[in-house]
Amino acid sequence: MKLLLVEDEASLRRTLVDALRQGGYVVEVAADFAQAYEKIKLYQYDAVLVDLTLPDGDGLDLVRALKSDGSAAGVLVITARDGLDDRVQGLDLGADDYLVKPFHLSELNARLRALLRRRQFGGQHHIVFRDLLVWPEQKEVLVKGEPLILTRKEYDLLLYLLANPGRVLTKEAVAEHLCGDQVDAADSFDFIYSHMKNLRKKLQEKGADDYIRTLYGVGYKLSTD
Amino acid sequence: MKLLATTTRYYLLLTAGLFMVASVLLYLGLDWALRSEVEEQLVNRELYLRALVARGRPLPATPFAYQLDRRPRPRALGFSDTLLLDPLEQEMVPYRELTFQLRPGDPAGALEWITLRKSLVETEDVLGVVLGVMLGVLALLLAGVVTLNRWLARRVWKPFQHTLAALRAYDLHRHQPLGLPTPAIEEFAELNQALNQLSQRLVADYESLREFTENAAHETQTPLAIIQAKLEQLLQAPVLQEDEQLTTLLSDALGGTQRLSRLHQSLTLLTRLENHQFAPTQAVPVYLDQVLRDRVALLEPLLEARQLTLTLHADLPLPPLTLHPGLADSLLQNLLHNAIKHNHPGGRVDVLLNRRMLEISNTGPALSVDPAQFFERFRKHNAASDSPGLGLSIAQHICSYYGFGIEYAYAQAGTRHTLRVQFC
Repeated sequence: MKLLLVEDEASLRRTLVDALRQGGYVVEVAADFAQAYEKIKLYQYDAVLVDLTLPDGDGLDLVRALKSDGSAAGVLVITARDGLDDRVQGLDLGADDYLVKPFHLSELNARLRALLRRRQFGGQHHIVFRDLLVWPEQKEVLVKGEPLILTRKEYDLLLYLLANPGRVLTKEAVAEHLCGDQVDAADSFDFIYSHMKNLRKKLQEKGADDYIRTLYGVGYKLSTD
Repeated sequence: MKLLATTTRYYLLLTAGLFMVASVLLYLGLDWALRSEVEEQLVNRELYLRALVARGRPLPATPFAYQLDRRPRPRALGFSDTLLLDPLEQEMVPYRELTFQLRPGDPAGALEWITLRKSLVETEDVLGVVLGVMLGVLALLLAGVVTLNRWLARRVWKPFQHTLAALRAYDLHRHQPLGLPTPAIEEFAELNQALNQLSQRLVADYESLREFTENAAHETQTPLAIIQAKLEQLLQAPVLQEDEQLTTLLSDALGGTQRLSRLHQSLTLLTRLENHQFAPTQAVPVYLDQVLRDRVALLEPLLEARQLTLTLHADLPLPPLTLHPGLADSLLQNLLHNAIKHNHPGGRVDVLLNRRMLEISNTGPALSVDPAQFFERFRKHNAASDSPGLGLSIAQHICSYYGFGIEYAYAQAGTRHTLRVQFC
């Protein structure tokens, strides 16, 4: 999977590139509008991550250019401007999704996965993790070939974990993913705990390995070893 | 009361007072002058009669008996007033009379008391005329002042009315200074100039505030995004994951960053709402029942965790409201979240939506704060809460932005808190 990351802030760009490469992507970067414009004209990407506020132009124009070229690349808009406006405008222009700065890297991973699945395989794609097989389009989960019945939130949780194998997911990130933005950190932990407990119980009942690790007070991790 | 009416009132009071004083003085003065004149004439006649008598002539006979009265018996000497009947007009007429002693005929003759009379009736006529003229002039003056003021109000105050109309129609959000003309009247010209300067300053301040708000959003969120991303990457380091103390430290730092970011977003949103910085063109028809359902679906885990029962009654079909979709979402999210947060385990949240209003009521412990402070910023019901307490303030601002009414009610029975948004 080849991505283009358009981000003018050098420090954030480095971290994002690290995180994305850890996630197994091939990442190219553009630090400003001109570079980005040149790259999207010259090369094909599976997905383009566009920061809207660039020193020499508006990221929305890049979205426009991609769409007018009929590019197959998925577009994920990253914005630090007050999200309320750009959200509407970016999606109107044909962006597939948006993230408001600051965001959780694990959330970026999950969004990117979902976006690529929709774009690249028309949803006809499965996720394999150890003894797990997930068909996202059908919302079907198989453990060692046996179907696993999950509630919607448990399924969302599982997909979120699968999008971030080996990464530590903070409770806040999980809560925001499940309940939308602006969930108060203070009252969101008990429900994650109970959902996570139910998910693990159901997986173990089907004989799956216990690969969900709890990091006390911090969050969870889908263990890859 | 109008300014002109006020000044006119004092002016009229002064004029009327002066006229009264002047009339009295004029009356007294004329009265005195006319009496002196009459007395002088009477004295002249006395002297004339004495001269006649001294030359040995008899007293002349007058055609009018009342003008010269001769009596042999003594009478009071000097001037006095009397009333005599005018046989023609059948009314009493005032006279001034002068009585003196005289020996007509020969020097040894009998002493007679002569009374000379002169009518005062003319003086009363004169006074009547004087008062009439004075009152007439006063009436004319009053009518003149009123007419003049009406005319002034229309003509001279025209620039002022224009300024007033321009101020009433002024809208800061158009980013235009007032641009009032300079009228010929100095005071109005100064007023307009001062107002023009004021509006220019307002526009400049508003503009800089708007720019600040926009920049603040970007400039602050970017470093926060960097901190958050770095901390999250740091958390992935295998060395760290083995040390519980370090991961907790890191996780707390992350939590703090997120709180700061959320606080900042909330404050920016409030500022933008207060400054009306949401373009009307972004408002689209929004079906609140749909937004409500989406939000409730998202909040389901929270409801479950607290064993809350949520009921949703919408009177379908509902007409769409023209709102900014982000603001509509934020309004519902804040209200719902409030109802969940300030509930007790096993409680209820009841949502009612119809054409006129949205009502969200929830069970929960009685309020310890004054309901009047309910919508204030940073108002926490629990000091230990992580939440900055901006949710209801945001909801209230969104409501007032769209002219919706929002009110809070508390029912002792069942300890029920109700927030009601009135759409019209």
